[in-house]
Amino acid sequence: METMVFLSTCRGNCSIRSISEATGISSGYLEQLMIPLKKYNLVESERGVRGGYRISRKDITCGDVLSASEGEFTPTPCDDCEQGDSCKAHQIWSMLQDTVNNYANQILIEDLASHLVESEAGGGI
Amino acid sequence: MKVSTRGRYGLRLLVDLAEHASDLPVALSQVAGRQDLSEKYLQQVALLLTRGGYLVSVKGAGGGYLLSRKPEQMLIYDIFDLLEGNIAFAEIPQKEETAIQRCIRIHFFEKLDEKVRNTFEGVTLADVTKAEWFTYMI
Repeated sequence: METMVFLSTCRGNCSIRSISEATGISSGYLEQLMIPLKKYNLVESERGVRGGYRISRKDITCGDVLSASEGEFTPTPCDDCEQGDSCKAHQIWSMLQDTVNNYANQILIEDLASHLVESEAGGGI
Repeated sequence: MKVSTRGRYGLRLLVDLAEHASDLPVALSQVAGRQDLSEKYLQQVALLLTRGGYLVSVKGAGGGYLLSRKPEQMLIYDIFDLLEGNIAFAEIPQKEETAIQRCIRIHFFEKLDEKVRNTFEGVTLADVTKAEWFTYMI
């Protein structure tokens, strides 16, 4: 999420080093984070002197990023359970799961980044 | 965030007791049998729920557990909060929180926590035991 928010504030490509400086995430770990982000087409990379990473499109949601890097949000391991529909507690976990996924799928990374730019402009950092 | 075994067992214990409403204490072995859960683990969870004020423990022969009040008066969110210790997605900010971390915490995770609170607002243990309730919700 931090990487994606940072990338969406950048024009053009960002090197791993500049992302690392902005986020405080180590370069080695960033290289690992980029693998699923690239696989799910959330970032694009370019080699060369002006190379680096950039976000692939403008309408990426927090849900896209979270499910690419952590997998779909499932609060419980209920898939393996045999109780099925007879488990009433399961309704609660479904509600939790739907609330989180619906919300995450609504919020754009770009909108989060716009708050960052605003607070920077206001000297909030 | 994953719901812990304690959270899952605890809720199922309360749902079971609410569904099999009784004035007599219910032995955990009965709940364990009905719900196919480990009795040993249920004991630990029952202790926590007793301390939290949701269950009353009755000792001796014919002893067991009772709900401390009506399921209509038990909020799912509060139960969940007790069982999990803390159910917030937003983490307490570290001293060296970066501007980006703060932005994500305030504008995403704290709002997500608010969404979750709103979803469960007013939802009681009694609601969960009603089969028709969930179909109504969606």
